[in-house]
Amino acid sequence: MDQLLPPEIDEAARSFASALAACGDLNALMRLKGAYVGREGSHAARMMDLLKAAPKEHKRELGAQINAYKQQWEEALKGRQTDLESAKKAQDALAAGWDPTLPPPVPAAGALHPLNRLMDRLVDVFRPLGFHVEEGPEVETEAHNFDGLNIPDDHPAKASSDTFYLAAHPELLLRTHTSPVQVRTLLRVAPTLAERGGIRFLAPGRVYRKDEIDPTHSPMFHQVEGMLVGHGIGMQHLKGTLEYALRTLFGPHTEIRLRPSYFPFVEPGCEVDVSCPLCGATGCRVCKGSGWVEILGAGLIHPNVLTYAGIDPTVWSGWAFGMGVERMSMMLSQTPDLRLFFENDQRFLKAMGGLD
Amino acid sequence: MWIERKALAQEIPAAAGLEIRELCEVLASLGFPVDGVAAREGSEALDVDITANRGDAMSHRGIAREVAARLGQPLTPLPPSAPEGAPLLEVRLEAAACPVYATAVLELGPGETPESAQAFLRALEATPKKLPAVDASNELLHRYGHPTHAFDADAIRGAVSVRWARPGETITTLDGVTRSLATADLVIADEAGPIALAGVMGGDATKVSATTRRVLLESAWFDARTVRATARRHSLHTDASHRFGRGADPAMARIARDLLVLRLQTWCQARLLGAWTAGAEPQRGTAVVLEAGLLTRIAGESLDLPQAAEALQRLGCSVVATAGSLSVLPPTWRHDLNIPEDLAEEVLRLRGYEHIPSALPPLEGPPEHLAPAYLQRQALARRLAHLGFHQTVTYGFISPEADSTFAGPANPPEGRTLANPLGYEYSVLRGSLLPSLVVSAGQNARQGARQIRLFELAPTYLSGPSGPREQATLAVVWGGVLGGEDPFSPARSVQEADLAGLARDLGIQDGPAIHRLAEGLFGFEVSLAALPLPQDRIIPAFRPFSRFPAVERDLSLLVPLGLGHETLRQAMASALPADALQDLRCVDVFRHRSLPEGRQAWLMRLRFQADRTLVGAEVDGWMAAALAAAEALGASLRA
Repeated sequence: MDQLLPPEIDEAARSFASALAACGDLNALMRLKGAYVGREGSHAARMMDLLKAAPKEHKRELGAQINAYKQQWEEALKGRQTDLESAKKAQDALAAGWDPTLPPPVPAAGALHPLNRLMDRLVDVFRPLGFHVEEGPEVETEAHNFDGLNIPDDHPAKASSDTFYLAAHPELLLRTHTSPVQVRTLLRVAPTLAERGGIRFLAPGRVYRKDEIDPTHSPMFHQVEGMLVGHGIGMQHLKGTLEYALRTLFGPHTEIRLRPSYFPFVEPGCEVDVSCPLCGATGCRVCKGSGWVEILGAGLIHPNVLTYAGIDPTVWSGWAFGMGVERMSMMLSQTPDLRLFFENDQRFLKAMGGLD
Repeated sequence: MWIERKALAQEIPAAAGLEIRELCEVLASLGFPVDGVAAREGSEALDVDITANRGDAMSHRGIAREVAARLGQPLTPLPPSAPEGAPLLEVRLEAAACPVYATAVLELGPGETPESAQAFLRALEATPKKLPAVDASNELLHRYGHPTHAFDADAIRGAVSVRWARPGETITTLDGVTRSLATADLVIADEAGPIALAGVMGGDATKVSATTRRVLLESAWFDARTVRATARRHSLHTDASHRFGRGADPAMARIARDLLVLRLQTWCQARLLGAWTAGAEPQRGTAVVLEAGLLTRIAGESLDLPQAAEALQRLGCSVVATAGSLSVLPPTWRHDLNIPEDLAEEVLRLRGYEHIPSALPPLEGPPEHLAPAYLQRQALARRLAHLGFHQTVTYGFISPEADSTFAGPANPPEGRTLANPLGYEYSVLRGSLLPSLVVSAGQNARQGARQIRLFELAPTYLSGPSGPREQATLAVVWGGVLGGEDPFSPARSVQEADLAGLARDLGIQDGPAIHRLAEGLFGFEVSLAALPLPQDRIIPAFRPFSRFPAVERDLSLLVPLGLGHETLRQAMASALPADALQDLRCVDVFRHRSLPEGRQAWLMRLRFQADRTLVGAEVDGWMAAALAAAEALGASLRA
């Protein structure tokens, strides 16, 4: 009997069951139905043509075989159609009479890393004041990381106990702060500074210091550097800018406080405190009851830094600040352990970073 | 540094009237924030943070000077200098790094360190040795900031010299360690060899013990740079090196010697055999001129010059006022006042930074745009986060083994290896982000995450002749189960194809290699250079689109295994009118052993749309042409 039908029909018959099972929806089922029992071009139609052309003595036997196939396929298709239709009906009913207390399908939501999100936010805050973003490499030269920043050549930070150096390139190191971006940018813009009308930028990025990993230390962390160079820039401009930025960040009632401090690349130098954003300066655990939290270090650019870059400090002046992103993030979120930022648990990232 | 409150009030009596909180605020506003207050020995000790440029403030007297200047109140005067006599032994100063060396020889009496001095030391977390000469020197250091030293005079052989160490010389310091000296180490030596590392630590052989009868005192001034270098060379950071290394007051050499003598006389009835000084204080530096214009610029408002002069005088400066400027000679204890800006800071500091006005800096030129590379990363991060991926931050250095998994032979680790890593597992600047993401993925899997979707945007490093080159890189890992968390979405596991689709969605040309990183975890990595830069948001030219109905037809083909989808697609498309063909792609794949050997079934979907209503016969003709094109590549209509 098998020899009565061509092998491709038998193959089609054999593959029918799995093809049927693979139909996940009514459209797929209709396509399968067309291919097997459709009026034109289907396996069934082809068999009918064969039957017509078959010798008389085979017609009966062949007809029975063809009917058996057609019947088998049609029943199975109908059964599957009923199943799919009732499934669709059930789903339509579920959709039409949707019980809003049931969990609906929700689009996937990921998260930015909390540190990146905070850095992005800072850029957003400074953009309206005309700041853009400058970036520099993480592998730096001693000249950019130290010398150009008025850091004396015997400064302890240069020691291999504090700074990572490259084995094959002893003159290269992993930058210990984002401040070398100052040096690079000033060197680059020095010849055109007058045409530009000064420069103002932020430099967010990753930095490295040789600290063992513990709840408050990490060999890699993030900083955001800010710098402005113009004519007649003084402490009032630093204060005004930071007041604007920190109020944008923490709310209009935020107060800031400058305290004298020291960094080799600024003079005068200061630490900047912000009225505690968590308790509204009434005193809490985060501000240790003082109402103030230290948020960044800043100052007017040291004349040696401008001179190193080829900028005349008697004509130009400016300010710079540097902020520890992890420190700020930990303080504001009260995250107890710095290592959480580098473990990348999706639950932490979603809760702390989230989306804009 | 610990500052004991009663001792501070002994130097600046006006501070006694301040509440502890007021005192902390005064100190913070002067640039000396208080990190904490501890109850010690019936008083309070303040943990004061002193910046490295202020060696002069690293004592009770130093802090008192600051408070006195702020309050405008007097300091307790120091006792008058005692007369000196002829040298009892020769002290030779052979190096410019030690210009002055005040000394004295005393015969010790029976008395002990008074309890008040011991309590003072304990309050500062120092341990009294109950040897008056040692305790007095220590107490002086904390009170006045000037390090001194007492030698056992009977252990000294011959003349004393201050000189550079000679090649091959060694010294056993007080901590019992024998140290080989470098010729850049300044030492105190007797005729047999070094007896102290100048400004750092005394020698063991000449140390004062309970049996010491006579002491030789040292109260000198050593060059800060020299002391810093020696302390670092020998990893020997002491209270003395800390202060000399940040600049001590040369004028204190004689005074501290006198104070030390006085203490030994009072504490243990010591008898002064002689006091003398070798050398002399170094010349004071030149005056710094502060112009009114600079002060105004820095302060943000015009300040009264005589008031500024008065503030500087309160800090110990000698000031000569001329028209529009001040010529300022800093006091001997201040080594940080070298340029006009330093002086401007002092004026503002004493006045209080809270008085600085606030103003936005005027814009002097047009703002600059954000760089395309920066915008590209921002856009990518946001796109991926909205697609359900979590941005990670991992360390830039990894272990050589982890690095070798993906870095490839063209990027040898030698050029990216740190000389002084935190440990072996952090020793190579990574050539790939994937090893770090695999670790983060594993951590999430262990925490029971149903689906892991992570990405990182960070540099990878490429070894090169002039150092590692940084390449901004994106890596994505994805694994676990998709869907199955609501009544409508069936569950299935994440597939390699999902990552390919994601890569395409991100606009990555030439689909990147998808790595199978672990069971059910896939990932890819691309240089951001392979991704499209964000286009300027100019308004694009309008491209008309058809408003006539579209016709969709499926073609079920048996195609030879190994025939690429793109090849087939292009062949079919080239046989069709480009203005009518909207889309052509495989929408379903069927592979089964029932199919002819070497074949798979692809359901190709064709979508046509034109600026007119398409008629069936026309589309039939196109379908036949598409089939013919497919057949030319060995495909056939699936029966």
